[in-house]
Amino acid sequence: MQESTFNELADLALRLTGQHFAPSKSYLMEARLSNISRRESFATLDDLVHCLKARPNPRFDQEVAAALTSKRTQFFRERNQLEQIVSHALPQRLKQSKNGRLRVWCAGVSTGQEAWSLAMRLLEEVGSPLASADIEVVGTDVSTDCVEKAGQGTYGHFDVQKGLSIHRLMTNFTRADSGDWTVSEKLRDSVSFRRHNLLHPAQDLGAFDVIICAHVVSGLALSAQREVLTNLSRQLLPGAYLFSAPTERIEGIVETLKPSRDMRGAFERDTAQQGIVAA
Amino acid sequence: MKHCLIVDDSRVVRTVAGRIVQDLSFTVSEAAHGAEALEICRKDMPDAILLDWNMPVMNGLDFLRALRREERGKEPVVVFCTNENDPEHISEAIRAGANEYIMKPFDADIVESKFSEVGLV
Repeated sequence: MQESTFNELADLALRLTGQHFAPSKSYLMEARLSNISRRESFATLDDLVHCLKARPNPRFDQEVAAALTSKRTQFFRERNQLEQIVSHALPQRLKQSKNGRLRVWCAGVSTGQEAWSLAMRLLEEVGSPLASADIEVVGTDVSTDCVEKAGQGTYGHFDVQKGLSIHRLMTNFTRADSGDWTVSEKLRDSVSFRRHNLLHPAQDLGAFDVIICAHVVSGLALSAQREVLTNLSRQLLPGAYLFSAPTERIEGIVETLKPSRDMRGAFERDTAQQGIVAA
Repeated sequence: MKHCLIVDDSRVVRTVAGRIVQDLSFTVSEAAHGAEALEICRKDMPDAILLDWNMPVMNGLDFLRALRREERGKEPVVVFCTNENDPEHISEAIRAGANEYIMKPFDADIVESKFSEVGLV
C-alpha cells in the first residue's frame, strides 16, 4: 500500500467514524478492506482509494469507513462485567423504575454477540426481580453489514464455540442443516439492532438505564472519544450506568461523565456539568 | 500439573489436540479407543478427558457411560470432541455425563474456551 493510500484511508476513517490508525496498523486496513476489495474487483487498496477520489460516493465512503472498524467480538467476552450488570446494575435500576421497564444500549455491538449474551443471561434470571421486568436491549453499530448479521442472529461453527457453553448453545440456539446456529425466538423478543454512528447524537434511540460501550473508545482519536462519550452521556437516564471494557480508561476524557459512586467500574452522567440535556 | 487424557482413533487429532492441551499446562496421555481409555482411567484417573465419539472397539459414548458408572472419588471433566454436531448427539452426550462439547473442526481458542467453561483453565 502506498503511503498516500494509507493517509487517505486513515483520514476517511478519522472523519467518518473517529478511528485512529497509526502507520504501523496498515496491515489492519488491508485485512479489514479485503472483502470490499474483492467484491469490487480492486487489485490493490491503491486502486480502491483511486476510485474513492475519482468517483465520489458518500455511501461507499461510509461503507469503507465502517469496514475499517474492528469487528472483533465473541459471546460473553466481558463475562465478569456482564455478571455485574445483571446482578447489580440492572436490579439497582429496577428498584428506581416506576414502571418495571429497563433499557440497555450495546453501543458498537459489531455482529451482535454482546447483545445476545446479555439477553441469554437475562433469561437465566428465573425467580429474580429481573425475570418480571420489561427489559429492552438495543444494539447499534456503524456497519450496515454488522447490523444485518446481528439481526439475523446466525453464527457459524467457530463463533458459537467461543465464549458459549454447550448448555447455553443448546438452550438458546437452533441448528440449521448448513451447520450454522441461529438464536431462538424467545431471545428475539427483547433484542433489536439498528445502524448508528456513535459520532452522531443519539436522541432517536431514547434514554437508557445501562449503556455498554466496550472495546470501542480505545480505538478512537481523542477528539472522537470526546464526541462519542458526550453523545453517550446524553442518553443516560439520571442515575444510569455507562460501562466501557474493563481494560479501557475513559475517566477524565469528558466532564459530563463521572465514576459511579455505587457501581464499580461504571460511569454516570455528571448533571452538574453543562451540556447535559434530559434525553 | 493437571492431567488430560485424549481419546481419539486419529493419531493426527491426538497429536494436534495434545499440543493445544499442553499449551494450557496439562500433562497429556493418549488412548485410541474407549476400552484403552478405560484401562488408563482405572490406573490413574485424569483431571480431564477430551473424547471422540466414533472409535473402534469402544465408542466415546459407551466409554463415558462406563466411566461414570465406575467412578469412585475423583470425577474427571469430560469434554466430547467429535464430528457428531447435531443437537440430538449433543443432548445424548450431556445425558451420559459429558461436561462440555467441542464440535470438530476445532482450534486452540475453542479448546481453551471450552476448558474455561468447565473451570479447567
